[in-house]
Amino acid sequence: MRGDEKQQSLLKDIRVIVFILAILGSIIFIHPWYTSNDGFTTNLNYGLDLEGGSWLQLKLQGAVAQLDADSGLLVKEIVNINLAEDVTITSVNEGANDVTVTFTSPSLLTNNQIDQLGVGQSTITRSNNLTQVELHSSKETLISTYIEDKLKTEVVPTLVSDGVEYEIRTAITQEELQTMMEKVGGSIVTDINGNPVYKEGVTTETRDLTKKILSDKLNSLGLKDIPVKTVGDDYILIDFAGIDLATAKNIAEKPGKFEIRIITQGNESKHVLYGDEIQSVGIVGYHEDAGQWYVPFTLDDAGAQALQQIAIETGATKDPMSHNLVMYLDENQVYSAPLSSSAASKLEQAPIYSWQASTGTDEDGKTTAEELQIHLRAGALPVNVELMGSGHVDASLGQQFKKEAVIAGLIALLAVAFVVFRKYNKPAILVPMVSTSISEVIMILGFAAAIGWQLDLASIAGIIAAIGTGIDHLVIITDEVLYEGKLPPRKVYLSRITKAFGIIFAAAATTIIAMSPLVVMGFGSLKGFAITTIVGVLIGILIARPVYGKVIHEVLAAGAETEAE
Amino acid sequence: MEVGLTERLDSFVRKHNDRQLAALPLAVFVISLIILAITFASSGSPVKLGMDFEGGTMISMASQESVTAMQQKYADYPITDVRQAGSRIIMQFGPMSDELQQKLTSDVIDSYDNVEINQIGPVYGASLQKQAVRAVIVSFIGMAIVVFLIFKTFVPSVAVVLSAFSDIIIAAAFMNIIGIELSLGTVAALLMLIGYSVDSDILLTTRVLKRRGTPQENISNAMHTGVTMTTTTLAALVAMYFVSTFSYLISPSFSQITLLSNISIVLIFGLVADLMNTWMLNTSILRWHVTNVGTRRRKA
Repeated sequence: MRGDEKQQSLLKDIRVIVFILAILGSIIFIHPWYTSNDGFTTNLNYGLDLEGGSWLQLKLQGAVAQLDADSGLLVKEIVNINLAEDVTITSVNEGANDVTVTFTSPSLLTNNQIDQLGVGQSTITRSNNLTQVELHSSKETLISTYIEDKLKTEVVPTLVSDGVEYEIRTAITQEELQTMMEKVGGSIVTDINGNPVYKEGVTTETRDLTKKILSDKLNSLGLKDIPVKTVGDDYILIDFAGIDLATAKNIAEKPGKFEIRIITQGNESKHVLYGDEIQSVGIVGYHEDAGQWYVPFTLDDAGAQALQQIAIETGATKDPMSHNLVMYLDENQVYSAPLSSSAASKLEQAPIYSWQASTGTDEDGKTTAEELQIHLRAGALPVNVELMGSGHVDASLGQQFKKEAVIAGLIALLAVAFVVFRKYNKPAILVPMVSTSISEVIMILGFAAAIGWQLDLASIAGIIAAIGTGIDHLVIITDEVLYEGKLPPRKVYLSRITKAFGIIFAAAATTIIAMSPLVVMGFGSLKGFAITTIVGVLIGILIARPVYGKVIHEVLAAGAETEAE
Repeated sequence: MEVGLTERLDSFVRKHNDRQLAALPLAVFVISLIILAITFASSGSPVKLGMDFEGGTMISMASQESVTAMQQKYADYPITDVRQAGSRIIMQFGPMSDELQQKLTSDVIDSYDNVEINQIGPVYGASLQKQAVRAVIVSFIGMAIVVFLIFKTFVPSVAVVLSAFSDIIIAAAFMNIIGIELSLGTVAALLMLIGYSVDSDILLTTRVLKRRGTPQENISNAMHTGVTMTTTTLAALVAMYFVSTFSYLISPSFSQITLLSNISIVLIFGLVADLMNTWMLNTSILRWHVTNVGTRRRKA
């Protein structure tokens, strides 16, 4: 009779109910199943080191800085780098938003050559064997172009609250940049405190763009489940489940095949150029007057010549509307539009280097422009990346590791059970203690399955660590309750159990605090280790151990009764 | 056996005064510091840094070939070490160019089974190293703050923090002695040690400060619980160590799991150090503190 009453009160206890629900929930999430075809299966996700596959960690190289320089010297340098001409600057006229630089040269300079610099419009006059060029540009364009030509990389200027920030998309140290700017009478701008505004790395937008390009590329190869993660501002981590390291590197580094063609008649079209003839791709812009979103891109000399030649051959310059310019990425059409009338008439005369692909007026136009920007790069990354780390585990080896980890866990549990039994010599204590420990493991795994956490070797080490502290805490509870080998009166028991939980909470707090730097800093596989340890400790102190305190009391009380009888 | 250990330890603690009790752990602590200092003087780092922090490539695969054969086979690459572990060969390489890396990777993957590759760039390794040092320092300070918040008295808190610190120093010195390099796994173990080692210290301090009875009685009681705690954890870790390190001796279908093996061996020695530090160093400081404060109170 009395035993039944106790059973009732135990099941009515809120802590016991929570515990039972948590266990049931965990089992549902883990979903262990057996079929004769697939063998034993669960909902648990495993990390690369258990499942097999490879990973790459890439660092995005670049620098973001505010810069200033002399417009005249910039033009002189840009002309020198591109045309190998030493020109004389005669006047510099700096307005609020634009700058006009006039220079002279004894050699013959054509409009075409100056357009190729890609810095702006120009007027060229020639008299007395002297060419005079009046160039309209802006300071941002000049500084960007100078660095681009010098480093053979892309530079993206952005307007920020206190000036213009230049993102240089390759590795350059502060000293190197300073020296480079001094050559054109400039420097890295300093802030109010006198510190140079320079930061190694790239902007968050660029990091996200790089991430998106990689994801798109993996998707286009049918590898939809491969996650591309950003770690901090400068690192990108890709986990290639089931793909070997050599293949993974190829996928990440090899660009796609991009092609531009012009429609000749009906569905027929003619090849114009491939992606390697696109020199650079700018960022998406919006034309106020035309109300159009667009992506700017520039062609190299061969590309620009080819486009002019084919446009004339196909008749696109005469009748743009029936000869669309079509872009393909890996044989899929990604863009199709006619030449604008101004571009068409200009092409009759000369090749055009700087192009803008217009995509539409509304939000869709913006989205299309953003996608086209990625396609134009043909999957080539916007910034230089450096391989920081990589890894590979064969699937068969991962299987071995998994089996061994499970065996290690089981033997660890047996070893713990043995020590506990030697100490207390009572199955009445051993059974609840070991079951509590097992229940904690089930709940940690259930939690992992519920949030889709990938269990790797480090997480398994974390689980074993959590079992270790868990047993420690159960020993504290047992010894507190079992003071001098007997169960104390109810009042004493309550104060003892409170004290035991005081110690346990204190110990848990230190473990959680000790592990939290790893969660925040999140480097490498240690993040998984720290998170599983913390989750394990929390599940233990909040769900499992209170129930153990309750159960051990009932068990010992029942035991005392039988002894008394 | 563990019952015998507790009894022996208990009578040892009873028979010696505070100064004698603290002597052994302090001596081991000082020797460990000297070992770390010597390593620091010779290599510029208190613990030998592994590939995770120095940069390089580790490749392990199933192979029956001899060490010298492998050395010859991969002589074109900056090979630094070849070892044999059961049916597996473990090779280490220094930093190399991207192209060379790619060639090596393809070659190994194509010609061997059960391949594992780990590559860390030197720059990334250096940044990992900085982060790891920061993680250990931050987590130690965090632990110390929690301990001070819990006990709110200076001497007992210092005793706990000091014995946790000594655990880490002894574990690190031990790594130098048996030649375990600092890797991400061993950093995790050192952090775990911070969490583990204070468990028994907190138990001891709470029992002695907050329970009625003589300090010596409370110490003995705490010891019975605390030693059980540490031995259960040790049992789990020893099991993990043997399975991850030596299971290939039993069945050739198993391989060494370096990460688990390193974590467990460092924790095992840290916890053995913790047994000594908790029940000798921390106990002596705490006993001295309680008796002194007690006498002063009685005088007043």
